[in-house]
Amino acid sequence: MRPGQRTGFAVLALVVLAAPAAVNYPTLEAQVLIAALLALGFNLLLGEMGFLSFGQATFNGIGAYCTGLLIKSGWPLLAALGASAGSAALAALVVGALSTQGTGIYAVMLTFAFNEMAYYAAFEWSDLTGGDNGLRGLARPALWGVGLADPRRYYYLVAAVFLVGFFLVLRLTASPFGHVLRAIRENEHRARAVGYRVRRYKVAAFALSGALSGLAGGLFAMLYQFVPLQAIDFNTSTDIVIMGLLGGTGSVYGPLLGAAVYTLMANFLSNLWARWPLILGLLFCSLVMFLRGGLWELCAAVWRRLGALVPRSGRRNSDAGGRRAARLEDRGAA
Amino acid sequence: MWSLLTVQLLNGLVLGMIYALAAAGLTLIFGMLDIPNFAHGAFYALGAYLAYTVAEKSGSVALAFVLAPIAVGVLGLAVDTFFLRRLARAGHVYQILFTLGAVLVIQETIVLLWGADSLSVDVPSYFAGGVEVGLVLFPYYRLFLVAVGALTIAAVWLALERTRYGAIIRAGIEDPDMVSCLGIDVARLFMVVFGLGVALAGLAGALIVPVRGGQPAMGTQLTGLSFVVVVIGGMGSFAGAVAGGLLVGVTQALMTVFYPPASQVGVFAAMAAVLLVRPQGLFGIR
Repeated sequence: MRPGQRTGFAVLALVVLAAPAAVNYPTLEAQVLIAALLALGFNLLLGEMGFLSFGQATFNGIGAYCTGLLIKSGWPLLAALGASAGSAALAALVVGALSTQGTGIYAVMLTFAFNEMAYYAAFEWSDLTGGDNGLRGLARPALWGVGLADPRRYYYLVAAVFLVGFFLVLRLTASPFGHVLRAIRENEHRARAVGYRVRRYKVAAFALSGALSGLAGGLFAMLYQFVPLQAIDFNTSTDIVIMGLLGGTGSVYGPLLGAAVYTLMANFLSNLWARWPLILGLLFCSLVMFLRGGLWELCAAVWRRLGALVPRSGRRNSDAGGRRAARLEDRGAA
Repeated sequence: MWSLLTVQLLNGLVLGMIYALAAAGLTLIFGMLDIPNFAHGAFYALGAYLAYTVAEKSGSVALAFVLAPIAVGVLGLAVDTFFLRRLARAGHVYQILFTLGAVLVIQETIVLLWGADSLSVDVPSYFAGGVEVGLVLFPYYRLFLVAVGALTIAAVWLALERTRYGAIIRAGIEDPDMVSCLGIDVARLFMVVFGLGVALAGLAGALIVPVRGGQPAMGTQLTGLSFVVVVIGGMGSFAGAVAGGLLVGVTQALMTVFYPPASQVGVFAAMAAVLLVRPQGLFGIR
């Protein structure tokens, strides 16, 4: 990991761990982290590999149902969460292997078709999933003898899972594997010509993305002790897409910001005005039109402007770029 | 049993005609213009609500069936010109994202203007009654719906295949650069096609209200089904969209008799199978 990433991760970890102490809404904050895991999984595919997945709710839903059902049959919490990550990864492996057979828009439509199939399967198989009523009455088991009924304690479990997941994604994007994913994004044919087995990398990325989404689904099920049918609904997939793009896909932090903004908007605006999705829709459309880098890019641009306001002598290093620009200016004047 | 099957077959035809209209519109937009319009169902819902208002204010159902699709089409022209055309260079992903945002905007606007409750409209008085099929009465209005749908589809098909303007549109889709070299404004041409496409969705929405009523989110399911039909029929194939729509509608209606749980899963499984095995669709050429 590069030093910049190390500081970034340290700052994020500090914020995540201090959040419930600063603002006491642990349930909402846990929801933000769960949404961030989903957005992270989505962006692994879109931001890193350049594949728009329209079916992330499939993996979220499978993870949620898996945790719910295993908890009901008495599994310990961590084992159930692990099994959720595993089963969602397996589902993503299959969906990824089939979807990446298509190219371009066909591949996107395949992820969509599989999501709809999973949704209707969950809807019809109500003996298992509870159908439209959802899977109800899940008790949150204790972890190593520590009760998790207190929302703050549960928040710290979510935070730990989130930080581990995020750390892995950071390591992954910096690894050779991540470089291959970016090579596929930039030029798939060239990546193949160089000798990488592009399909395998794509499917592996799908499985990882599925594991993250499945974990998020499991954590969500235990947060509300309930799995709504919505967890596997295509609308949830579009929400995940919106979160990712709202924050921006250009950076690993973008989706986190998007997930946080989206979840907080959904919670606070929906109390003020039931029609808040109108504002969200307008915001989203204008981002797509004018600011494709999302809110993270907006923040970065503002940060750079602020940096430019600071007098040059106040900077730590001598600014090589600035000196070069000055030299060019001199030449132009001469 | 036979009368039940006949009625379900007729109901499937009604449903299929709605799918065929919407999918014919989507095949123009997605198959020909290459814009994945995920707001197609939202335009359908808008058509339904506009038709309701026109019929209520003017008292004329016929006027509603004409004005509502036109209004939806005009809105489509604006959306295409101001937004989607400008996103064409950015690629599919951003067009999909824009239309997803547009769904939220249209859906919430509907709730603001008409309320969140579902609409229910009585079938116009001159369509009261129906044909007797065994023990069941099949309403005249549904037969009318099928007829209007069939006539509209035939008219659009004739316009595309047998008129000069239609020939220009097809040429523009085949080779936009060449056509614009011949002095034709391709952007305007495509804008008209987009408007026509969403107007067909609007008409489908207007026609369905007396049968099923209207809900602000009524379009979400239709968007998915329209994509299914377009993919199964073959992207850009007008005949494929119509045949596919009728096929999916009738199959769904008959499945509800024999094995209801499979009716939705089966439809999307068919879509995935077509995408994997025959991406050009059953009627597609490309």
